[in-house]
Amino acid sequence: MSDVAIHLDALRVHYGHFAAVDGLTLAIKRGELFGLLGPNGAGKSTTIRVLIGQRLPTAGQARVLGLDVVRDWAAIKPRFGYVPDRENHFEEFSGRRNLEFFADLYATPRTRVLECLQLVELEDAADLPVRGYSLGMRRKLLLARALLHEPELLYLDEPTANLDIHSADVVHRILRERVAAGATVVLTTHDMDEVEKICDRVGIVCRGKLVALDSPLALKTAHTEHKADIETTLHERFTFDLDTAADRERLAELIRAGHVATMRTREFDFHATFLKLTGQEFE
Amino acid sequence: MRLYILRALLVKEVRRHLANRGGLALIGLLIVAALLLSFFNPNAAGAAGQDGMVAETGGLVGGVHHCFIEYGRVTPLVRHLQKAPRPPELQETIRFREIPPSQVNELITYPPGVGSIQIRETSRDGRPVLQFHVWHPKDAPGAMAGYEQWFWQETRRGLQEMAVHQLTAVGADAGKLGQPQYQDKNLWAIAESFHSLSREVELIRSLAPGPVASDKPLLPEIEIRHEALGGTPLDLRSAIATAMVVFSLYFTCVYLLPTLNCEERERGILLAQALSPASPYEILMAKFLFYPVIGIGLAALLAGIYKPEVLSSLFFWLSLLSVAGGFLGIGMTVATLAKTQRAAFMGSMCYLMSVALLLFICQQNGIPGLPYLALEYHGPRILHAAIVGEVYRNHWLHLIAAIFLAWCWVFAAGWLFRRRGWQ
Repeated sequence: MSDVAIHLDALRVHYGHFAAVDGLTLAIKRGELFGLLGPNGAGKSTTIRVLIGQRLPTAGQARVLGLDVVRDWAAIKPRFGYVPDRENHFEEFSGRRNLEFFADLYATPRTRVLECLQLVELEDAADLPVRGYSLGMRRKLLLARALLHEPELLYLDEPTANLDIHSADVVHRILRERVAAGATVVLTTHDMDEVEKICDRVGIVCRGKLVALDSPLALKTAHTEHKADIETTLHERFTFDLDTAADRERLAELIRAGHVATMRTREFDFHATFLKLTGQEFE
Repeated sequence: MRLYILRALLVKEVRRHLANRGGLALIGLLIVAALLLSFFNPNAAGAAGQDGMVAETGGLVGGVHHCFIEYGRVTPLVRHLQKAPRPPELQETIRFREIPPSQVNELITYPPGVGSIQIRETSRDGRPVLQFHVWHPKDAPGAMAGYEQWFWQETRRGLQEMAVHQLTAVGADAGKLGQPQYQDKNLWAIAESFHSLSREVELIRSLAPGPVASDKPLLPEIEIRHEALGGTPLDLRSAIATAMVVFSLYFTCVYLLPTLNCEERERGILLAQALSPASPYEILMAKFLFYPVIGIGLAALLAGIYKPEVLSSLFFWLSLLSVAGGFLGIGMTVATLAKTQRAAFMGSMCYLMSVALLLFICQQNGIPGLPYLALEYHGPRILHAAIVGEVYRNHWLHLIAAIFLAWCWVFAAGWLFRRRGWQ
């Protein structure tokens, strides 16, 4: 069995003349928690749509668990779970009944419904109609639905949007547990802290192309800039790049001479790395 | 097709309707209406004699807006009538129709507001007899007056032309024949004018030089009969029962099916089901099964409450299945074309309004052919015939048309599904 769960090979998806995904080549390993990042319109959602079989590739190939997503969609479907960015429950049903319906489709025992509700801490609200749920509860119910059949592969689109800190932590814990159990998780998010915290690897896409691929730490190390802003005793302001020897030397001289009145160091975070890689301004 | 998935999908549909009680309330209302209609019947259902010609029920206004001139073969008289000038108001309202002699004594059904004058050829004691049967709506013998006035004038003129031709052929002086008087509208006077023409022709013929070839009169004997069209006048109770049956099928297949389908699509629920192990065919099959079955069940219940014996009628079940199949095709077509629940609602309402208007305009203006393309033209007729228990040959033809149109709609829906995608 190959250790690659998802393999995208020169994937292209065009909407008319617009290339939403432009030659994306990517391999995601089994048991990996992979973050797909990118600005709005970068092609993340389109890539996910191809992976769940809801969009045909214009060119290239997408293989999931060794199967072609177009040709073998019916065989792939029962093996993945999907948490969409927009909640899609039966509003008139209770949370429990929503899960029971999907449990029946997956031929999963009804006992699993309660397990999943407990997992996302919704057991107390299980019998309330979904129309009475908060946004966060609805998102947790989506996750519970995706976990019903214990899929080998989980796609999550903004899984922690609208969740409070505790609920977000619960989701992170569940995802790590799934990965520990051997599942592969692919998530898209705009929360850089979340990416740094839980993702094993990150792919940053921009204008349909992959611009960076590595672990969050490696990306941060490779791309983070260290700078120092000083104000001299003569009220002059300077910025020194601490990654260059010349700037470090000049700064040291000013300090030694006692001309530095105030100094503040800046270490760009992962957010800045993301902005730098995607060619966006840092404010 | 996996049964456990189909069952889950069907149970989901049932639960959705149990949770949103609007559909159930309407079903309850229809059942109560059917019970009221059945148990508070002021009169016993009337039966009608069914010999001769019948007028279909369903006319919205009285009078005769169209008249058929029907004949067994094209004779010089028919040719004369076809070419004869007509008053402007009758230009478009008189239609000539050849009916094979073998069918002339069969049951002919006329649409509401249509009368006819049939020209039948027969013989008595070796003499040809020309029978004119004027079929007018029941209880409205005067409704054909305008057509008759033109018809009798031109028939008299046509017979005069025939007489001139015949007299000339036997060497008689046709110029002695007097000109007809057209003013009289009295039936007796008209018949008398035909008889006087025949007497005059025979007199002139007797004055002709040479031997008489035959003692038979040159002109045929004329008989005029005014007859009322048969058929039951529209019984409002049976019409209401039919309307409820049609409405229950329309409501489930053309309204509920597309709107709830589009709601699922709009809210992404259809996508969630599509990503589950359920195949698109299983999801569609559940919908195909649920709504028509509910519609047929409700329609049969309503018809059964009104008239229980209808449930043992093969024609009723065939009618129900064909109309439900057609409505299912229409509903699925709307569901495929509409992207949102609102668009589906608008689509089903616009369809209903446009077809109703089309049928009304066609009936009022006597536009031929076009109504036959509407399932809503045939459906109520066959269901009404089944419910009142008066099924004639023409109703079987309506049933065949309904089955064909149902097939067309289902085919169109399937074709659109393949082209546009089911989501």
